[in-house]
Amino acid sequence: MSKITKEELDNIAKQPKKEDKDWIKVGMSSCGIAAGAEEVFKTLTEEVKKRNIQVAIKKCGCVGMCSVEPLVEVNVEGMPQVTYGKVDKDVAIQILDDHIHNHRLVNDHIYDIQVKKADG
Amino acid sequence: MDKKIVFIKDTGISLPERTKDVYAAFLNGLRDRGMQDSVMAVRVADIGAYSQGVVIKVLPDTTYYNVKDADINRIIDSIKEGKAVQDLATRKEAKQLRIVLRNCGVVDPDNIDDYLARDGYQSIKKVLFELKTQEKVIDEIKKSGLRGRGGAGYPTWMKWNFAKQMAADQKYVICNGDEGDPGAYMDRSVLEGDPYSVVEGMMIAGFSIGATKGYFYIRAEYPLAVDRIQNAIDRCYERGLLGNNILGSSFNFDLEIRLGAGAFVCGEETALIASIEGRRGTPHPRPPYPSVKGLWGSPTVINNVETLANVPYIILKGGDVFARVGTATSKGTKVFALTGKIKNSGLVEVPMGTTIREIVFDIGGGIFNNKAIKAIQTGGPSGGVIPKDFLDTPVDYENLQKLGSIMGSGGMIVMDEDDCMVDIARFYQRFCFEESCGKCSPCRIGTAQMLNTLSKIAEGLGELSDLDNLRRISQAMQKAALCGLGQTAPNPVVSTLRYYQDEYEVHIINKKCPSKKCRNLLSYKIIPEKCKKCSVCMMNCEAKAITGNKDDGYTIDMNKCVRCGKCFEVCKFKAVSKE
Repeated sequence: MSKITKEELDNIAKQPKKEDKDWIKVGMSSCGIAAGAEEVFKTLTEEVKKRNIQVAIKKCGCVGMCSVEPLVEVNVEGMPQVTYGKVDKDVAIQILDDHIHNHRLVNDHIYDIQVKKADG
Repeated sequence: MDKKIVFIKDTGISLPERTKDVYAAFLNGLRDRGMQDSVMAVRVADIGAYSQGVVIKVLPDTTYYNVKDADINRIIDSIKEGKAVQDLATRKEAKQLRIVLRNCGVVDPDNIDDYLARDGYQSIKKVLFELKTQEKVIDEIKKSGLRGRGGAGYPTWMKWNFAKQMAADQKYVICNGDEGDPGAYMDRSVLEGDPYSVVEGMMIAGFSIGATKGYFYIRAEYPLAVDRIQNAIDRCYERGLLGNNILGSSFNFDLEIRLGAGAFVCGEETALIASIEGRRGTPHPRPPYPSVKGLWGSPTVINNVETLANVPYIILKGGDVFARVGTATSKGTKVFALTGKIKNSGLVEVPMGTTIREIVFDIGGGIFNNKAIKAIQTGGPSGGVIPKDFLDTPVDYENLQKLGSIMGSGGMIVMDEDDCMVDIARFYQRFCFEESCGKCSPCRIGTAQMLNTLSKIAEGLGELSDLDNLRRISQAMQKAALCGLGQTAPNPVVSTLRYYQDEYEVHIINKKCPSKKCRNLLSYKIIPEKCKKCSVCMMNCEAKAITGNKDDGYTIDMNKCVRCGKCFEVCKFKAVSKE
């Protein structure tokens, strides 16, 4: 791994914030893992590979809504960025089928909606 | 054209959930107008509003509250026309503000590049190449008004300044991650969700006081937090962000983790230092304060995880920007771990000065099972209860202290009408009794005596003079105990006595527990008029205290009854009374 220099940090600061590509984030802190986030993460990673979908599966920390873990945040082009809660294996597959493939939001599992500036 | 997206949720609490009905009505309305392909309606599980009836949110920014059935078609028409129904729409501002949790749930905690892409290590760069001097960094923190988030609220800049002024060859920075209050887990989430911010905060603190070495003191019960911090430290060494000549400057800084073995008292700074040094984790008298004589006799700054997570933000954005948020004496935000009888338990970060009511009802969604709120507890075993009459108090260090509680590290436990204040006081007292290190007698003996007295009251053996005794012991402990644990251990008792003395008196005089929580004071009875003589209670009674037969009905022998409450739970006809 190369060392980070001051110049490199300057460059990062100057660059416009990169447009995020399509991604799915799974909350993987203690609260999420205790509620079953690892299985969700595994399911998503495997299914995405199997179906050859171009979406990055990432992990992240706790966003705070611990009572509805496991949380899965989805951001794909042309759709609002939403957070699904109480996600299990089945809901995870539903997210891939409906949200990612058919561009149709999944009922009854959305707990948070981020309105992207581009939409406004 | 993109589809219009509409979110629907019934947030009412008095009736059974109607989200599905409203959703169906909405779909019908769309179909009638041939709009089903241009509008996507979605049932959501949480729409960010509570007790506001049916809420319909039309992206991007129109939200309708308390929508009546008749309004549904008007809303659909308005979507067609592309403007909001003026007399129905309102805009609500977001109440949460994320400074400490700015990266939690956003970055991959194991990936340093994620953090770098979100202004990571820009603050330490600013410190090393723009501010350049310790004075300027401390000045920025002073401007921000940041106070310690561990509970006591000591101004961070003063702590740093004391340590800076000390002449010493070696100084240390310690991150206190020994979070032990029952129900509090803000620090764990920050360590797990955004470890690099805390590392950067440590580096800035180290630079400001002239320390070249820092320790993370994290309790061993947080294995994931330890893993992630260790990974963050390793990555930083690889990329030259820790070690010698950081970013090509003359600043050297090393970091290491020390594990706490699970003693509550080790969150107290002098005990924490003893524990890092490998000695028994007991406190010693202050002064000298750690900033003068701390770890291995060297000047040491100890900051809480949350305090340190604020630091990179303050340096990058400027102290004055941070100081714009909050109240006159308490700046910035505070993270609370909202737990207890609350619908949305979890972490919330709000600007200082937000009222308790906003936190509990607007963000937390109100009380579980629609019961009435009784009080909230803040500050864990060192804090106190705040009765529901004070729900409109803006939260800051001074206000909570005035009410007899403290900010504490940020645990906020919501209590409803089923919670007994004697029981709560007893719970915390038992916690302090078990965690007291035993070094000083006011705490060792005081907690034991208080616990005995509270148990006596809860078991129906209390006398009115016990209340004065509790007060006397409390005063003695507050004045004479050696460290924060003992000095604050009486707080839950003092504050429950202050607001709920009548509840104590009912326990003592009437031998009753109004909240039906104290087991020994309960009595169970079968109400013959309601009893269907099904014998389920008898079959479930493990103490064999219920006798009778299907013809004559059943009775409970209170001498044999162990008050397990099973008969009360299993009776489908509510024929068992509990008093």
